Amino acid sequence: MLNNNSQIEKAVNSRSGPRVSRKPRGRLLPFLYLLPSALLLLVFMIVPIGYTFYLSFFNWNLIAPTKQFVGLANYVNVFTDPTNQKVILNTLVYIVLLVILNFIIPYFISLIVNFFIGKMKGPYKILFFIPSLFSLVVGAMLFSWILNPVSGPLALFLRDFGMKVPQWTNSGAMAIVVICLITNWKVFGYNFILLLTGLGAVPRNILDAAALDGIPKLRVIWNIVLPLNKGVAIYVFILTIVQGLQYVFTPINVITQGGPYYGSSNLLYHTYLNAFVLYKTGNASALATVTFVIFLILLFIEIKFVEGRKRDAD
Amino acid sequence: MLTEKRNWGWHILLILIILAIMLPVVFMISNSFKTLQESYHSILQLIPSQPTLGNYLTLNKQINLLRMVANTFLMAMIVTLGKVGTGLLAAYAFQNFHFKGKRLIYFIFVATIFVPFTTVMIPNYLLIAKMNLLNNVIGVALPQMCDATGIMLFIKAMEKIPSSLTESAKVDGIPSRRIFMNIIIPLLKPSIISVGAIFFINSWNEYVWPTLVLKDKSSFTLPLALQNYISSEGGTNFPLAMALAVIMIVPPLLIYMVFQKYILNSISSSGLK
Amino acid sequence: MENTGFPIELDDMSKSYNKKTNVIDKMDLSVVPGEFLVLLGPSGCGKSTTLRIIAGLEAPTGGKLLIAGQDATKMTSLQRSIAMVFQDYALYPNMTVYQNLEYALRVHKVPKQIRQQRLSSILASLNLTNYKDRYPSQLSGGQKQRVALGRGMAKKSRIFLLDEPLSNIDVQLREKARDEIQKLHEQNGQTIIYVTHDQQEAMALGDRIAVINDGKIQMIDTPENLYHNPANLFVAQFVGTPQINVFKVTYFNHQLLDISGAVVANLAPYQTTDLQEDTDYLVGIRPENVSLSEDPTGADFPAEVESVVDYGRYKQLTLKVFDRLEIKSVVTSWDAGVDQTVYAKLSRKELLLFDAQNHERIEANQNSKYELE
Repeated sequence: MLNNNSQIEKAVNSRSGPRVSRKPRGRLLPFLYLLPSALLLLVFMIVPIGYTFYLSFFNWNLIAPTKQFVGLANYVNVFTDPTNQKVILNTLVYIVLLVILNFIIPYFISLIVNFFIGKMKGPYKILFFIPSLFSLVVGAMLFSWILNPVSGPLALFLRDFGMKVPQWTNSGAMAIVVICLITNWKVFGYNFILLLTGLGAVPRNILDAAALDGIPKLRVIWNIVLPLNKGVAIYVFILTIVQGLQYVFTPINVITQGGPYYGSSNLLYHTYLNAFVLYKTGNASALATVTFVIFLILLFIEIKFVEGRKRDAD
Repeated sequence: MLTEKRNWGWHILLILIILAIMLPVVFMISNSFKTLQESYHSILQLIPSQPTLGNYLTLNKQINLLRMVANTFLMAMIVTLGKVGTGLLAAYAFQNFHFKGKRLIYFIFVATIFVPFTTVMIPNYLLIAKMNLLNNVIGVALPQMCDATGIMLFIKAMEKIPSSLTESAKVDGIPSRRIFMNIIIPLLKPSIISVGAIFFINSWNEYVWPTLVLKDKSSFTLPLALQNYISSEGGTNFPLAMALAVIMIVPPLLIYMVFQKYILNSISSSGLK
Repeated sequence: MENTGFPIELDDMSKSYNKKTNVIDKMDLSVVPGEFLVLLGPSGCGKSTTLRIIAGLEAPTGGKLLIAGQDATKMTSLQRSIAMVFQDYALYPNMTVYQNLEYALRVHKVPKQIRQQRLSSILASLNLTNYKDRYPSQLSGGQKQRVALGRGMAKKSRIFLLDEPLSNIDVQLREKARDEIQKLHEQNGQTIIYVTHDQQEAMALGDRIAVINDGKIQMIDTPENLYHNPANLFVAQFVGTPQINVFKVTYFNHQLLDISGAVVANLAPYQTTDLQEDTDYLVGIRPENVSLSEDPTGADFPAEVESVVDYGRYKQLTLKVFDRLEIKSVVTSWDAGVDQTVYAKLSRKELLLFDAQNHERIEANQNSKYELE
């Protein structure tokens, strides 16, 4: 008996033996599969982040052969220059508006579709998603047509009631609202589907159990559904900010170019303006680094909840 | 109370939302077949009184339409093939192997999704300029040939393949390259199609990075051309711009009509971890 | 504090999802107050749907459902006074064990003191006191099952529905869990409807068992009658392991004949008034009623031993008879080996006959068994 066992052990050991001391090629194999993506990300992501950080300590105009080291001056400028301050404030306004339009409203609608209309979810999903297929340039064009104060359909419609469409491009605040609406048109369906999928993943039996316990529907949503869907919701929330701030770039550039007087600009657009219009590479790099840090913080929030989600699932 | 009832009030709200997001597109298509005069005077007439292809012909005269479509298609195709190819390989590495530093490498990969484009645009611009790829769609495509979103989606799809399948192949001594090509790729077809379709559509619509790289009109992609037709000072010839926009939305719409189910499934799964 | 269970009545009740085929087909069922009724059937037979309709999670498409004598479709879940344990327990993942038990009471504004009293006794009786602050994801299968049970108990409802509550826990723990459920029934006197596909579980728990197949109740009776007097072939085959032996036979001249012409059983001295000459029947005989002997005297037919499995307490033999059929026999002691020829005798008292076409049981006219006149 004992003898037998040790023989089996030997056999097991000798089988796993060569596996451990495999040829080095075998151990390098996974890195071979990773090589193309790793190389691309290194060259076009990781190194550029470092280089942008490096450039943020210099005064440069993108073309001149020499760069002047200025230390932290560009960073001080980010927070003291009135234009930069205005742009940072605008960025906050953008974030608030984007969260309301592209996160809270789609969440509300997805709750309605999931819990209050019975069947028929399919057609809404299919139709809501369609604008996500279109370029933001198309969206920008459509909104500047609809909202054209002179000849747009809204202006003609309001004229019958003796009202006018304001010259919204002349006001930073109004322009920001319109620009956010354009991104809302594009991402509403996308975020709606993500949130609806999350709601649909709440186990049917749990909802049934709550119904049997006589818990009113709104309380079930508040006490059970929303907490269970927290992971997906946080993901969409972060996505709304991270993607949204980049999405608004297109309508800003197409319609207002950040104007009037930087009134509709944000951190990302201002970075672009500094880099490629004003040729203040150092300023642009400092702004870009600040943006990067903000996004990193959002990433860590995301990870915290993703990890939390994984633990719940175990 | 226990069984769900239909509530028409909510349906009306939802249908209004659909109208709000779809009507502009419908009118865009309609106006693209109107003359400038008609579009101005009978703005909300859905069917043009005298449908005309005039706007499309004018466009074709003013810009090299065919070449722009070709540019856009070429760029989107390179980006899509690159992202799908690198994504599949990387996903296979993460899903099928155990190696040192896997978690850290995966974390860095996923973190790149959160890098704002402004943080990398200056060095990338300088690099592409140095490589002499400005005004070239390859210069647009090259930095975008890897996307961690695709890696994540492919890993999710691979997780659904029963591990006994690849394990039995491993026991039979089949090399990983063959397992990848002969087992994983064929089983992943639906997800390759949908992820590829999403990448293609996104790239087809891309605007920001191309505006930096493509300055010469002959190298323009469609979104850049359309932007040229929109004047912020007013006076945009909307029927003309709309005709160009209609050309732009047709390919994504066709792809969506064919692969709608796959595409929505992939997007749904991207939210669930 | 003592509750008395509500009676439940299904009257011609049907359920259909596609308006064509009925998942539940005109079901009649009456559950008396305080009864422990088990719905037993293979998967997809409609037993869980029946339970969900009683719970009010789905609406019947035909017929009536009465709870405590009232039309249940108009009752709220509170009026129905139903608690239910789901197969996967359906615990609220974001709440601790204590909060899971407390949630419904809190929503319905049961005073805190009463809540605490009630829950601490339930937690203690289910051995969960030490786990009350854990989340469901931190519990084992058996613990989750007890929490689900406790959540149902906390409501003090008149009806307790259990949908395969033991199918997700380890076999070793099942017997203990079964005892807990039985204890709960004895203490509270609720009406319990228990759904399972496991016939042993059903036999152990039910006052009565309703065997369901194809959306119809095949038979509803005590476990004993289900086993000894099945109403049809399905019930006979579904209840009992190893499965009942079934032969196709022809009745001819007081004898049951195999297709090969061999005699399966001579019924000459027995009461056989309702069997018709030269007609096909199905004979069912449970393995323990096939007795074996090395002596051909008094036996029905010879059999060749194909295999013997020793389960310790008993031995199970697979026999080949008439050169083509396999039957099983269960005996307590046996020394003969494989390939040996032995002689089988079927206990006349336990012999069951079924109509060859509709598989209904043919009962002998009076004493219900083929007994000596």
